[in-house]
Amino acid sequence: MSFRQASVLPGFGLTFGFTTFFLSTMVLLPLAAMVLAAGSMHWSDFVHVVFSARALDSYRLSFGASFLAASINLVFGFIIAWTLVRYEFPGRKLIDALIDMPFALPTAVSGIALTTVFAQSGWIGRYLEPLGIKVAYTWLGVTLALTLISMPFAVRALQPALLEVQRDLEDAAETLGAGRFYVFRRIILPTVLPALLTGFSLSFARAVGEYGSVIFIAGNLPMKTEITPLLIVIHLEQFDYQGAAALGLVMLVMSFTVLFAINLLQAWGRRRHLQAASS
Amino acid sequence: MSIILDQVTKHYGGVPVVNDVSLDIGDGEFFVLLGPSGSGKSTLLRAIAGLSGVDHGRIALHGRDVTHLTARKRGVGLVFQNYALFRHMTVADNIEFALRVRHVRGKLRRQRRKELLRLVALEGMDERLPAQLSGGQQQRVAVARALAHKPEVLLLDEPFGALDAKIRDELRRTIREVQRELGITTVLVTHDQEEAFAMADRIGIMNLGRLLEVGAPHDLYSRPATRFVATFLGAANLILARRTADGIQVCGTTIAAADRTPAANEHEVVAVVRPEEVELAPARAALTTNYLAGGVVEEVVFTGALERLRVRLDAAAHTPLLAHDGSDDNASELLQVTRTQHEQRGFAVTPGQNVAVGVRRVHVLPTPLSSFTACAASAQLAEALGREPLLVELAARMKTRITTRSEPKMGVAEALCESADFVGTTVIASQTDCAHRSEWLLRRGARDLLVLPAGATAPQRVLIHWMGEAARNATLAMSASVLRHVPAEAVYVGIFPGQAGGRGPHGMRELLDARSEAQAAHGLEMRTEMRFGEVAEELARRLAEAPGQMLIVGVTELTRFAERFRALLDGGHWPVLIVYRGAP
Amino acid sequence: MSAAASRVLVADAARPGQHTWLHSIVRWLFITVSLTFLAAVLLAPLATVFAMAFAHGVEAYLKAFADPDTLAAIRLTLITAAVVVPVNTVFGLAAAWAIAKFEFRGKSVLVTLIDLPLAISPVISGMLFVLLFGLHGWFGVWLQEHDISIIFALPGIMLATMFVTFPYVARELIPLMQQLGNDEEEAAITLGAGGWLTFFRVTLPKVRWGLVYGMVLCNARAMGEFGAVSVVSGHIRGLTNTMPLHIEILYNEYNFVGAFAVASLLTLLAVLTLGVKTLVERTGYRGH
Repeated sequence: MSFRQASVLPGFGLTFGFTTFFLSTMVLLPLAAMVLAAGSMHWSDFVHVVFSARALDSYRLSFGASFLAASINLVFGFIIAWTLVRYEFPGRKLIDALIDMPFALPTAVSGIALTTVFAQSGWIGRYLEPLGIKVAYTWLGVTLALTLISMPFAVRALQPALLEVQRDLEDAAETLGAGRFYVFRRIILPTVLPALLTGFSLSFARAVGEYGSVIFIAGNLPMKTEITPLLIVIHLEQFDYQGAAALGLVMLVMSFTVLFAINLLQAWGRRRHLQAASS
Repeated sequence: MSIILDQVTKHYGGVPVVNDVSLDIGDGEFFVLLGPSGSGKSTLLRAIAGLSGVDHGRIALHGRDVTHLTARKRGVGLVFQNYALFRHMTVADNIEFALRVRHVRGKLRRQRRKELLRLVALEGMDERLPAQLSGGQQQRVAVARALAHKPEVLLLDEPFGALDAKIRDELRRTIREVQRELGITTVLVTHDQEEAFAMADRIGIMNLGRLLEVGAPHDLYSRPATRFVATFLGAANLILARRTADGIQVCGTTIAAADRTPAANEHEVVAVVRPEEVELAPARAALTTNYLAGGVVEEVVFTGALERLRVRLDAAAHTPLLAHDGSDDNASELLQVTRTQHEQRGFAVTPGQNVAVGVRRVHVLPTPLSSFTACAASAQLAEALGREPLLVELAARMKTRITTRSEPKMGVAEALCESADFVGTTVIASQTDCAHRSEWLLRRGARDLLVLPAGATAPQRVLIHWMGEAARNATLAMSASVLRHVPAEAVYVGIFPGQAGGRGPHGMRELLDARSEAQAAHGLEMRTEMRFGEVAEELARRLAEAPGQMLIVGVTELTRFAERFRALLDGGHWPVLIVYRGAP
Repeated sequence: MSAAASRVLVADAARPGQHTWLHSIVRWLFITVSLTFLAAVLLAPLATVFAMAFAHGVEAYLKAFADPDTLAAIRLTLITAAVVVPVNTVFGLAAAWAIAKFEFRGKSVLVTLIDLPLAISPVISGMLFVLLFGLHGWFGVWLQEHDISIIFALPGIMLATMFVTFPYVARELIPLMQQLGNDEEEAAITLGAGGWLTFFRVTLPKVRWGLVYGMVLCNARAMGEFGAVSVVSGHIRGLTNTMPLHIEILYNEYNFVGAFAVASLLTLLAVLTLGVKTLVERTGYRGH
């Protein structure tokens, strides 16, 4: 059997060939370069770079803050998505369009703007300062920036799922005697659970890799507010390509794991959906 | 009574989707709400379930007023068209949902679940997920789930809509059996008349938010009271005929009417002829029934058990056919006929063949609105009047026709009119000397007169009033007939002379009497209002208060008519329908 | 989306017991929390951009653009986008055609590879090209011998930008073309149309809004990319500084008006992107 099914449509050779060529040169070749660069390191050097105290602290900040940001977005993303889907209020459509702003806004712009707003003299920072809350140049600022740039992922993953929760289901539960909170816990939450997980994973994946918006607000103190991508840049600037590649590989493995989990979740959700639709 | 609806009204954006519905459903009754989509039947069902509020009126379940109770406290079971099963729960969890909510112990829950699964013939399916069941099985689970908490009332919202014909039949039978076994009061909403016939103890037919008629399937089919029910329940030929002292006169032949009510005087009526009541024969002499007319067969369609034909009646017959079922407009001059295999064998026909047409049975609709005659000083003006949007809309909704009539001497004192025969409702345009013209027409034999301002649109409120008891019945009948075809609210305006309080108790009784008679005799739900002052002036004042209103007024006395009605008729922006029941 | 949403909203109106105080409070709370959150993390920063840019008046704002380095950054960003967006569009169309129209083994590998740049850090994306073409990279020595500079030069910026933005067009087109099916293309072929004719007259008109959408997103990301470009550019003023990089330099030099002036241009670009996105979604093509 041939590796593709017969079709009357032309153009397979051309488009498949071009796609494969493009992906090979743009993705596979550079990836191979990274793996080889990291692989050509001496094992002890690799461990030294990857498990140095500075690197470990940066992982802790990058992954910890990303986890926190994704969790915040899980809660606020749900509230925002619910508000947009279920309530009518003036400006709803505008807000709906604005959700994608962090998506469209260059990260450098988000970075300097957030830093300015949350700096000690900033519009919001000046009110937090007397409360003893410092946002800019602390891990809190990092979390805030990551929350902002990953928020659209959570909201956009949840919105269609909440729209799909049939009102009939809620109506049915209500006629059967269930209260609003019970309906929420037993009907709505289980139905949107896959979307919640997807939104969380997408937010997390985006936040882990983020660079532009974070470096402005982080302050970049080694061991304190230094994220892993910044550490990679520092290695590169010192022409330590192998060290950078090693750190990159660690991040990539983690990113891959997340991507794999997302794909699994999506496949699971799709299968459930198909099953329900075909019956 | 299990379910009592009292004047239930629900508006969406100002339009009544459920309009003044009152209905009593008895214990253990299987009641079917039947109507086309958008007739308000599902909204009414959701209102009973508590999923939709009502703007006006009351709902009581088993003597308990539940109008302001949330759905969860009403204790009803509701089955949805698309099943609405909880997809992440097993069949068992779905069925036990209502029991879990009520903290019923596990053992009792399981016991009840087994019972219900046996009832809907799904034993052993407990651990399946809804996605693993067929559509019919899912709907069975939905029925079992809705019954779990032993609701007092079972509500079914188009439960068979998403199923194929064969499974639908099976499920219908199951639901009917379950309903009989449990003796539970059930309301089913559907747009399928066959389904309604198959399942109902009683059917209520809704259109434009109004509950038009309620009755046993057979009664509704054989003796409908309204055009809509006649044409919606099965196919029907509507024919304009005349009621005479001897019976129903169609194309010169007089047929004894099925319902013998003595006719006071000759007038135009709408007759219903079911397609299966038509007989075809090669010649008039071969007919075993009353001869209607000669005709030519236009179309023959074989459908298995029955043969469907369309027959064009001879032009000489002048039979005004109105409509069959509203399905296609241009076929309305064709008589619809169905014949059994037996009849086909007796007399085979082919398209183009000349036949003699007879009818076995004719049913006369009690509606006083048969057809419209646009009347003006010239044929041209009458034509133009006949194209008025409100008139065209009314005629289309009533599936009737508009004829024209020119009266060049209209309003000229002592002049006679062209013909003393006024057919149906006479329509004149609203203009400056309208009161005078109205009097002129009424004095010369017109009985129902619609004064129509240019560009009038369908009213949202119809005001009803009569002057003189002799016109009461006719006014109510006319109002009921009009309101079946426009989605408007009906308001009876009682007007009493003098100041407020002068005739308080007596006036109040008059209002209540009017309301109960409207409901009992004409199925018309109306609100009542009390006003004080001179009748015509008060009515004109009330009409001027808001746009989109229409007046139906009963009159028995023509003395000083033009003078009295000037404020109401001359140049008003509202349509006025005058129902005159007195000596011409 | 909005049509379905409003249907849900209508159904919510006036049911018995829905106007309890609890219901109103939850509703009020949700809307307030949403708006406050969005105002704090979204609107305040956006407003800051313009407030800072115009902090010293319109003249100072306009003067910021008189700086030749700023102008060079704008020019470089435009040139990069002008090269990257067409290339990625062609790639997106080819990939979508191959993946949506044909069944073949290893398709999911291709799809995963296309998604990859979205899942990895932009810094790593940039680093990949440094590892290939940098001084100590695979081709570093060879490139130096032939006096070709890629890293710290325009080609490197373009490659890095291309890498981070190539998924956008393909990811919009693949689901759209899969959803629309092959029927019309097959009909065209059986009627005697050739491949190119079928593509331009049948497929392209069908997917045009999805294509526009993908190109707009691709462009926004290409002009705004920071991390990947930062790694490969070398930050040479007037030569290899794109707008986002130039913002960083100006900001670190405490030239806030200049930094925010350039930022305001990119913000306008983002607003424009969202505007186009909203318009495209209104045509009935659903983005998400």
